[in-house]
Formats: sequence, C-alpha cells, structure tokens
Amino acid sequence: MALPRSRRTRGGLAVAAALSLALTGCGGDGGSDVGGQDATAPGADAITEPVTIEFWHSMKEKNELAVKALADDFRKVNDKITVKPVFKGDYDQMVVAYKQAIQQEATPPLVQIYDIGSRFMYDAQQVVPMYKFIEQDKFDQSANIEPNIASYYTIKGKLWSMPFNSSAPLLYMNADAVRKAGLDPDKPPATLDEIGEWAKKLTVKDGGTVTQFGFNAALYGWFVEQLTAQDNAEYCDNGNGRNGLATKVNFGTGAGPKFAQWLGDLVKQGYATNTGRPTDQAQNAFKTGTIALHLESTSALGGYTAAAKDKFELRTAPFPKPSASSGGGTIIGGASLWINAAGHTDAEKRAAWEFVKFANTPEQQAKWHAATGYVPVNPQAKSNDDPNFQVAVTQLRAQQPSPATSGCLLGVMPEARKGAEVGLEQAVPAGAGQEPRMPAEQAMQNAAATLQSPIQKYNANVGQ
Amino acid sequence: MRARTIRRRGPTGEHRLSLLFLAPSLIIFTIFVFYPLGRTFYLSTMGTDIIGRANKFVGLDNFAAMFGDPGFFKALGTTALFVLFTVVPGVVGGLAVVLLLESRIRGQRMFRTVFALPFAFSVATASVIFALIYNPAVGMANGVLSHLGVDRIGWLTEPDLALISISITTVWMTLGYNVLVLSAGVGAIPVEVVEAARLDGATGWRLHGRITVPMLSPQLFFLIVISTIHALQSFGQIHILTKGGPDGATSTLVYWIYEKAFSYGSSDFGTASAAAIVLLVVVLVCTGIQFGVLERRVHYR
Repeated sequence: MALPRSRRTRGGLAVAAALSLALTGCGGDGGSDVGGQDATAPGADAITEPVTIEFWHSMKEKNELAVKALADDFRKVNDKITVKPVFKGDYDQMVVAYKQAIQQEATPPLVQIYDIGSRFMYDAQQVVPMYKFIEQDKFDQSANIEPNIASYYTIKGKLWSMPFNSSAPLLYMNADAVRKAGLDPDKPPATLDEIGEWAKKLTVKDGGTVTQFGFNAALYGWFVEQLTAQDNAEYCDNGNGRNGLATKVNFGTGAGPKFAQWLGDLVKQGYATNTGRPTDQAQNAFKTGTIALHLESTSALGGYTAAAKDKFELRTAPFPKPSASSGGGTIIGGASLWINAAGHTDAEKRAAWEFVKFANTPEQQAKWHAATGYVPVNPQAKSNDDPNFQVAVTQLRAQQPSPATSGCLLGVMPEARKGAEVGLEQAVPAGAGQEPRMPAEQAMQNAAATLQSPIQKYNANVGQ
Repeated sequence: MRARTIRRRGPTGEHRLSLLFLAPSLIIFTIFVFYPLGRTFYLSTMGTDIIGRANKFVGLDNFAAMFGDPGFFKALGTTALFVLFTVVPGVVGGLAVVLLLESRIRGQRMFRTVFALPFAFSVATASVIFALIYNPAVGMANGVLSHLGVDRIGWLTEPDLALISISITTVWMTLGYNVLVLSAGVGAIPVEVVEAARLDGATGWRLHGRITVPMLSPQLFFLIVISTIHALQSFGQIHILTKGGPDGATSTLVYWIYEKAFSYGSSDFGTASAAAIVLLVVVLVCTGIQFGVLERRVHYR
C-alpha cells in the first residue's frame, strides 16, 4: 500500500489515515473491509494469484473425512484456491473460538456456525452476507437451495449464510417391538397423544422391572422448538425475531408446557424413561432395542441403522404434532457457512464463495449427503433411497416456509434452548411413580422468564 | 559469558545471575498466572459486548448480578457438598485400601496395581464409561440392581442422587492416586518403629491407629489439601455426565463459571470473572484453614 501523496502540512493526517487503514488490515487490492449490511461481494476477477483459505468447522469422525474430501475435490477443479479445513471443536466451542478470533482480528475467511448462532452472526457485523455473492454471480438460489432450509437463514428477506449440513427431526421406531404389540408400523402415531397410547401398549414388564419402554427422548430443547413450529406458533416474539430483535421467548405457553406435561406423565406412569439432558444417553438406550419409540434428528439415522442391524428393524416416521389440529411444520437443524469480511482480502472472500458454491453443487451435495446422512441442501441432489431417510425429505418438502417453521432468530438462542431444558428437567420426574419437582406449566413459565435478563442485555448491547 | 560472570561476582552480579535463572519460571508464571489473575480482576469490573469484549466499566455490578442470582448460591452449596462427598471417601477409602494391603495378603502387588489403575484413566474416558454404567434404561448399574429385584434408579436424572453419582465417579478416579501416595508413605515408615511397636504387643488396628496412621499424617495432609483443591476445580466429569443438571443439581462453582463464560454461546466474562474471584477466595480460605488447623497435627519426621 502506497502512502498517499501529500504536502508537508497534511502529512500528519495522511500518515494517520494510512496507519488506520493498515491497522484495520485493509488489503492492497482495494477490498472493502467492513462486515454486515454494507459489505460488498468481490467478483471473480478478485483472484489473480494462488490463495489459501482456512475453513473452520465442527464436523468430526466420518463427517470430518467428508469435509476433507470436499476440500480435495474442490482443489482438483480450482488450482488457484486451496481450502484448509480446521476442526475447532463442537458447535458451542466453535462460537467461543470464533469470538476470540474476532477479538484478535484473526477470523478465518470461512466458518461453519450452528443454526442457533445465526442471529449472533448477523449482529456481530463480521460477514459478507451470502445474498451479496448470490446477486453478484446471478446465482440461481431457488433452484439450488431448498426453500424450507433457506428460510431459516433468511433475515429480512435475504439469505445471510449458505446452509451446509442440515438435519430434520424424526420419530424413530423399533418396528419389531411395534408389531409384537399388535400395532402397525405403516400407520405410525402422528400426535403426542397417539404416541402416548402406543407407548402404553409398547411397554413390557417382566415381574417388577420394565424390560422395554414404550418411549424415550432426551430432555432436548430442540424438541420444544420443533413442537412449537408444528403448532404453527412462534418460539419468540417479533415474528420469530425476523421482523426485529425478539424481546421474549414463548415456550412458557403452548407446546412447551404441553410437551413437558405429556412426557412427565409418561415417565411417571412408567411408559417412558428419563435419560436426562445429554442426547448420548437417550441414543445409547435406543440403540440397544429396549426403547420402542424415540425422537431424534436425522443425523442419528446412520448410527441407528448400524446399531439396529441384526438386532431389530428400524423404521422412521414424521415428527409428531402436539395435537391433530396443529397446522405447522418442522424447523431445519444443523449449521451453515458464513464468509468473513472483516480483516480479509477480496481474494480470500471470493475464494470462500467459490468453495461455498462448489459445496452446494448437486454432485457434491449428493456425495456429502451419502457420506454424512445430512439432508441435501440442493433439491437437485440425489438423496439416498433408504425409505427411512426419504421420510425426512418428504416431511421437509411437504411444508410451506412460514415464520413459525423458519425458526426463532434470537441472539441468546443457545441459552434459550438450555432454559427450555432446565424447564423440562423440573417438569419430568426421574422415574416411574415419582412426582415432578414442579408442575409443567410453572416450570416452563419460570424457565422462559429466566431468559428475560439475557435477552435484554443482548438487545441493549446491539443497540436497539 | 562465564568470564564476565566471574569478574562481576559482587552482590549485584550474583543478583543478576539469580534473576537470569529465575527468568524462565518468572516468564511462565507471568504469562499463565499473574497476567490471567490481573485480567480476571479487570474483567470482573467490566461489562461485555456480544463478542465478549470488555466494553464499559460497571464497577461492582457484576458482583451484584452474581450475588443476586439464586443459581450462584446453589452452586456454592453444591460445591461444598461435592468436596465433602469426594475428599472424605477418597482419603478414607485410600487409607483403608492401603491398610488392608499391608496385612500381607496373597497377591498384594497385584491388588496394589489394580487399585492404582484408575489413576491412569483420563477424566473424559472415565466419565464416558460411567455414563454408560449409569444409563437409566440400559446401564450396567441398573442391570445389576434388577438381578437383585431393585427397580431402575435414575443415577444421573434424580436431582438428589446425581451429585452422589458424580462423586462416586470422582472417588473412583482419585482413589488410585491416593493409594499410590499412601503406599509410598507406608513403605517409608522405618521398620524399627513398627518392630518396636510389635514387641510392645501392638497388633492390628492398635498398630495402625497408634503407629501407621500418625506416621502417614504428612501424606494424609497432602492428600486432603490436594483433593480439596481438585474437587473445587472438577469439571470434566460434570460436563460429560450431567452438564450441571438435572435442574442445576450438579452445577458446581467451576461449572457455573464455565456456563457464564463459554457455554451456550454465552460470553458474560464479567460475571464469570467475578465468580472466579470468589472461587479463588474459597480455595485460599480452604487451604488456609487446612494449613492453620490440620498441619499442627501433622507429624513430620
């Protein structure tokens, strides 16, 4: 970067200006350094020489291998760009690492952030919104991104990040157990009450102890979010935080207490077991075949299929609705890709976009989906024909995007999810014959109220 | 270099030389202890923005927020219980095992190795194994109980039991270390002392109570201090087994700090730093009490 020419009298000013430019890390290629609404997307001509970019992700084990394969495939068709995937821990740890990187002005050009971190990413003002690249390249969004997935990452009508690994909620069934109880796995229960009826019939006792539970699910706040959307209700106010900053969460009424009460009753009556908050515990229980009905995300399907092999027949069904009259749909889960602007050259930003675009192609999406079990983001991508998986695809495509099924955008969404989980812990007793610590309604209302202070603090911090 | 040092061997030269030798540890302490400590005090008086940057001076507001949070006091109580549930069984259990091993049973060496083995497990590994054991639906613990005709127990899901279950895991993990330290201590007791006691007719519990245990007091004291500090700082087993639940029943002070600072996208470093200062004070007070009261009863040779 050349110092601006100036007369001696203006020299000081010029040096200061140059210094401030240098300090904010402005590259020599004239790239804009700001993130957020005013960020600009560089065109394809930004890449003139080889560039290497880091991609921070949270994919482990087989998923990490799939990320590496994606980066390798990309290298084969783009000899100027090298993408270096870096595993940064789970989703929560990623947010911690990313915040530290912002403080040290060392963010990677490309970062994978979980769904519930989207509002934070929007407010952190670090990124080039994805729609700017989409407009720049005249990228066909509607043909390449499933609208029900895009809706989650759409803020004020514009796509801010590229959905990458998406999952959907499902009802899992041990079909052998279902048939043994004289029930038909082809006509699965569709509402909470129907699951309750089934669970009663599916609970098997040997003497005093239960050898098979009718139902089990982790005390996972995500299910409360899903059931709320199934009711076509909003999880937080201001149009699920999409018309403006949300100021409160709504899980104190409606599907929240309904689910808590329902699950608490089932556990108390001995038809369900309470394996607590860690999802691993519920998954381990279901894998052994001692649970007949179970709620989880599609991301568990691969593990369940392997575990059920030679043990029991695994079947899936659409995620239940709170009641027969519920007219909503489910919300997509998973994570999306964000391109950082602050502190990055145009070449880096463009390189990140080239990779994002490549990852979205039907071929790569099909490959990614086959390797990881995530729902393909690109509707043109061929998904595997496992009927258990197709249930999720059908469920997703059958619904119309709406504010409810887009999910709640909330700066403190991770804390809100944890709040709902604490409510569930209070409302669901530990085992059969036990009383909950608190009535469901009160537990969920209290839990929702504890979110007030973090929400206000967050909103005050982002200046609204 | 050497020549210069020798020539300058006055008081100042020696002083400089000592500083040179101290430099590595001083640098390490400054980076990893003094700086974070100072930073903690600084952050405890600051508000943070959504990225976790200190953005404004708030005085004692963070402390007020902390003391106004019922979860904080609950965490303090949980921490005290956790220390009680892990230090006492850990040290007493370790002592019992060592004394039993002393009674010249067959396969003494094998047992010593077996008891010391858990020490080789990392916290994460041990916690994952215990998570499987404690699983209410399919875990081994309930499997064994069902053979005894006892119905399932929510080891980690019953709020009154969860802390005890985590304590059992913790004791299992620390017992090996305690056995190692105490075994070494027993081995170091002079044979003459034991023989003299035996000649005087002391056997069994009398020998242990009057000779072995008092002679082990330095090791016991060391273990009590170390286990207390470890218990106050325990994190991994809580994070893996319960995430502080159910309903905050296993959220100790360290876990509470973690939740405020790092988990669930939170970056409230102000309140977390305020709580970290409280933790520092608690550790100092505990160690102070232990040194002030217990150490006087320790018999150093």
